[in-house]
Amino acid sequence: MKTLKINLFIVAIALLATITSCQKEKPKVIIPVLPPSNPITAGNISGFIKGTMLTGSTYTVTADVHVKKGDTLLVQPGAIIVVKNNSQFLIEGVFQSLGTQASPVTFDSDTHQPGTWGGFACDSSQAVTMKWTKVLNTGGPDNTGGTRRTLVVAAPVKVDIEDSWFLNGQDDCLGLFKGAQITILRNTLQSNGSTDGEGINIKSGATGVVAYNVVFSQAGTGIKLETAKVITTAETNVDVFNNTLVSNGWRRGAAEPGRGVSAGVSAKGNIYNNIIVNCYHGIEIFLDADVANVKYGNNLFYATANTFVDNTPLAATPPTPAVTVDIRAGFYPAGAAGVAQASDVISTSTATGNPLFKTFDNSFLNPNGAANNNDFHLQSGSAAIGKGSTSFTIRNPSLLGGVTPDTDMGAYPTDGNGNKH
Amino acid sequence: MLLKNLLVILFLSFNIYCFAQTGTLKGTITDERTGEKLVGASVSLGGTTIGASTDVSGNFTINNIKPGNYIIKANYIGYNVISKEITINAAQVTTVNFKLVINSDALQQVNIVGRLPNETEAAAMANERYSDNLKNVVSAQAIAKSPDINAANVLSRVSGITIQRNAGGDDAYAIIRGLEPRYNNTLINGVQIASPDSKTRLVSLSIVPSELLSRVEVDKTLTPEMDADAIGGTVNLVFKDAPEKREINVSGTIGYEQLFLDRKFIDFSKANISTYSPFEINGQGYLALPNDFTRSNLDFSKINPPPTETFSFNYGERFFEKKLGLEIGNVYNNLYFGSNTEGNSGSWNPNSPDHRPKIDDIITRNISSRQILNNFILHLDYKFNDKNKISLDNVFLYSRLEEANFAGDTSITGGNGGRTVPGTGPVSFNRQSTTDNQYVENLKLAGKHVLNNSFVFDWFGAFSNAFRRVPDQANISSNIAISYNPSTQVFTKTPEYFDNITRNWGHNEDKDYDISGNLAYKTSIKNSPLEIKIGGLYRNKSRYNYEDEYVLRPLANSDGSKPVFSNIYTSQWTVYNPLGANAYNVNNYDGFEYITSFYGQFKFNLPRLEIFGGVRAEITSEGFNIRQDITNAQGVTDNYTDILPSLNFKYKLTEKANLRLVYFSSLSRPAFFELVPTTPQSSGGSAEKGNPNLKHSTANNFDIRYELFPKGDEQFFIGAYYKDLINPIELTYVSSGTTTLTQPQNAPHATVAGFELAFTKFMGNFGLSGNYAYNYSDVNDAHKIDRLNPFSSNNQPNFVTEHRMLLGASVHDLNTSLLYRNIKRKFNAQLAFQFLGKTLIGTYAYSGDNYIQQPLTNLAFSADKSIGKHLTIFTKLNNLLNTHTKVVLYNFENGNEVTKATYLVGMRYNY
Repeated sequence: MKTLKINLFIVAIALLATITSCQKEKPKVIIPVLPPSNPITAGNISGFIKGTMLTGSTYTVTADVHVKKGDTLLVQPGAIIVVKNNSQFLIEGVFQSLGTQASPVTFDSDTHQPGTWGGFACDSSQAVTMKWTKVLNTGGPDNTGGTRRTLVVAAPVKVDIEDSWFLNGQDDCLGLFKGAQITILRNTLQSNGSTDGEGINIKSGATGVVAYNVVFSQAGTGIKLETAKVITTAETNVDVFNNTLVSNGWRRGAAEPGRGVSAGVSAKGNIYNNIIVNCYHGIEIFLDADVANVKYGNNLFYATANTFVDNTPLAATPPTPAVTVDIRAGFYPAGAAGVAQASDVISTSTATGNPLFKTFDNSFLNPNGAANNNDFHLQSGSAAIGKGSTSFTIRNPSLLGGVTPDTDMGAYPTDGNGNKH
Repeated sequence: MLLKNLLVILFLSFNIYCFAQTGTLKGTITDERTGEKLVGASVSLGGTTIGASTDVSGNFTINNIKPGNYIIKANYIGYNVISKEITINAAQVTTVNFKLVINSDALQQVNIVGRLPNETEAAAMANERYSDNLKNVVSAQAIAKSPDINAANVLSRVSGITIQRNAGGDDAYAIIRGLEPRYNNTLINGVQIASPDSKTRLVSLSIVPSELLSRVEVDKTLTPEMDADAIGGTVNLVFKDAPEKREINVSGTIGYEQLFLDRKFIDFSKANISTYSPFEINGQGYLALPNDFTRSNLDFSKINPPPTETFSFNYGERFFEKKLGLEIGNVYNNLYFGSNTEGNSGSWNPNSPDHRPKIDDIITRNISSRQILNNFILHLDYKFNDKNKISLDNVFLYSRLEEANFAGDTSITGGNGGRTVPGTGPVSFNRQSTTDNQYVENLKLAGKHVLNNSFVFDWFGAFSNAFRRVPDQANISSNIAISYNPSTQVFTKTPEYFDNITRNWGHNEDKDYDISGNLAYKTSIKNSPLEIKIGGLYRNKSRYNYEDEYVLRPLANSDGSKPVFSNIYTSQWTVYNPLGANAYNVNNYDGFEYITSFYGQFKFNLPRLEIFGGVRAEITSEGFNIRQDITNAQGVTDNYTDILPSLNFKYKLTEKANLRLVYFSSLSRPAFFELVPTTPQSSGGSAEKGNPNLKHSTANNFDIRYELFPKGDEQFFIGAYYKDLINPIELTYVSSGTTTLTQPQNAPHATVAGFELAFTKFMGNFGLSGNYAYNYSDVNDAHKIDRLNPFSSNNQPNFVTEHRMLLGASVHDLNTSLLYRNIKRKFNAQLAFQFLGKTLIGTYAYSGDNYIQQPLTNLAFSADKSIGKHLTIFTKLNNLLNTHTKVVLYNFENGNEVTKATYLVGMRYNY
């Protein structure tokens, strides 16, 4: 605490210095360099760990790492963590991975193959912060053969995940449950989920903001809101805006189509300014959601083809008929509570409502772990430009993390205030 | 009785061939004091193997006796033996009547070294009447005449006992006086049995066919010399003993199930099932490959099953001047049964003002089971003399279950959408094949020694072992979605997608070693007999549990999509956890329990009052070791000592009526797995987690019973009980994230009270027997979520306390049987009716609702007819009303299980 106060004091003086001297020359900002607490030596780590993983160091996790309640594990920019033996991080204390744009933190397995390590089980953690961190190839089974989410929090604690990459996991990417207070901004989630798994799965009373994220080629639903069948928390209540959701929901098969965004089982929230392209279903608001309190509009729905023909069933012995999916009919699927809003941009043909991504391979179904060579920035003339709403009432203003809805839709508004990837 | 008569006839007929000129002996045996006719008393001619027992009128007849002088002995349980000298003349009928005197020593149990006739109904009644504690006894004879085919059926007709069954009906456990199986004790020949179950201490009563039983005893109050871990009661399965005269019984039956006349039986191939998991075969570190897993046990086919068949055989005889007794027996059953279930699960309804549960899911389940039972008994005893006897009993029970379980689950609401109109929705299918082999063995060596006129010493050593192996329980899940387009009015079904396969290998072993010794001292104070007994028991119980699971996931198509399932032989998968779960599986644990107990008890007989009491101490050390997650408690040992007093008064109101007053204290220990704190994976649905802080339950029990024995084969009981349980163990809701977790927890206290009534009455050839039990129980369930206000501001559940009955308890339990017996025509028939009131079978997470099994009425019929001297044909027809087992939650059916009627005919040969 004491160090923090002193820190703030110094920062305040420095700020004051910049303000008072801004007219003359480039100010000299003095950032005091404090030694890290409990520095962790590069090399093999496992077991009960606390302290600081250092900039420029490479760590090899040889077995599960536990962070006990009350302990903190802090990762400095540029640290590289290689996880072996399908190990995972089990966090009951505080976890902070503080990469920077210039020097991100990387977590990957030694084999770099999808599903080869366990991710972050922060179920009963005290706080989770992740900035500019690459989390690659998670989703190996747990010791009992159970699936593992890339990162899971199931406690009413602050979860702040910004500017990070989550690639090639095998199950749910982010599982945010039991009253977690979430700020999920400007992340890229890509090619996660083998034949199941949601992108951002928010349940059981989690509240917060999910904005400016890109979810590409998720097996299941991009962003899913639910409370629970057994209600022991307030309703899940999330502001979902300015996300770009592309080619999601195809790998689970026609019996369990994935959505761009869904709200169900007593969940409520805002769903605005999202771009949804080539997803199996667009926005699905299930009849068992808190329908009256799910507000939505100003979303863009587009498809690069009117139908997608899933030929997989033909490969079965004996072959079963191929499934033809009418993409446009699935923007707001029938049998659910969601209906097209006047403020939405809804493509009626490949020629209308095109968000004009800088590059897009027009894919629908991609394999788990597929590369993403697309650039979802908007070209001028995009139907998404200027169609966003900035007037809806944010439900969780304290968890905005400094962002506001944009007048453009999607994660890459033309003012550059969105996703930095 | 019929059996005995047949036996007599059998021996007599044997004599016909040898002696042309013979005489006949006839007579009646009555109670000297009351004049009551004694049913089932035996008479024997000294120096011969000839004998008979009395019929329902107390009469006996022995034909074809070689002329000469004989000593004839009349014998009846609890009475002094009377001998008379008689002369039998050729072609004449000699009549001899006996008036027997009650032997008060003999009635107070054990100091008779020798055997009492114990398979007859009369013996069972005498046992109930003269025992020191309150008990119900069902004789082998009664079982043979009843529609019952195993111990579970038998017990369901005993006053105050109901049977808890699992879905599919292969397991059955006794609930005594509304107390769950956990509060009751199961013995074989008086010794606790090891459990083949992987989690509990229980032994399914359905694996014990009735043919080899001598009797089933249910002790509802305990004496200090009995194991104290029975709050509800103790079920003692007593197997056949060596008979006084040679006895050979052979029987066979054939039967069929209405269920399989109405639908096919689902079969799967057992040929390639691997007994061991890839880990067990290849050792630590082996990475399992897709081809390590067989396909044929997931290849299901529909067949018409062959008929159910059973066979039993037993032989008993005494050798070497009756010093050595032998009994051997075997029962083989090959049974086919199953069930069809439909039901709905429900969840909290945000749209209804009172937030009662609303249907969120439709479940259908069809089970097809084949069970093979093969049981062997061996009994040997040796009487050195009238004062010393040793005996050896071995009971071996083998059960093999082959079960196909098909479930379909349609979401009405929920995560991936639900139904829009009836007939639509996402449907997931689970098809599971299980083979389950269980072996239970109970070996007991016992001795009894009358040291002198005052001291009797008895002892036993027992080894009980239960082993179970479930090799490769295979489950495949797949899913479809059905949608409806209102504009075209067309239903569309997607292809069936291959979801997941799990393969599970488990085995567990329970071993009990018991050693016990008791010393009784008899004296008298002013001519009133006093018996003092002390003794002790040491039991070493250990449990080993292994389970391993492999998960196979569909190999995605080359474009990354999920494959369609059409056929197990063409399905391609990858092994998701190639190392297996083995040591990390939640069911991988060791348990142990060491019990040392001592007791002292006295029995004082005043002319009309018997006072019986004492105290027992049980010193327990119980614990477990697990081999999983290092952040969990890995080994826990709990030590505790209980001092358990008891006091009984038995007051003889008249010679035919007793009034009993009983107080005893008893306990119930947690099951091994209930302590193990492993958290199951959060895969959704619901799961159960152990609680290492669980305390054992104790109880103070009070009983009062009035007993009337108007005639030898008639009785009337009425009684009431009150039990105060401290730390009862109840499975309650603890938390929910993605998985709803329940955990066994100690409620501070529970109360159980009720009354029981039982009677048997004969009028000519007709008889009526029945019993009724009313049970009240109350426990404070402190773990119900307040449905109107389920959470507090910090997102923690708001719990409210709710009074409810105990899990497993039923309010009303009525059994009645209409009996018809025609001794002349050697015909018996029985129509058995059963009514079971509402039963609490599960707790729902929110206040105001629970899972309630609806009242059940059941009708069964049995009949037997003897043809000639040795042969009896019989039939047993069960579930004639096609009773549905319905469970209701709030206003909808959570489950509706149908098993349908079963039909069986058989033939019995007695020699």
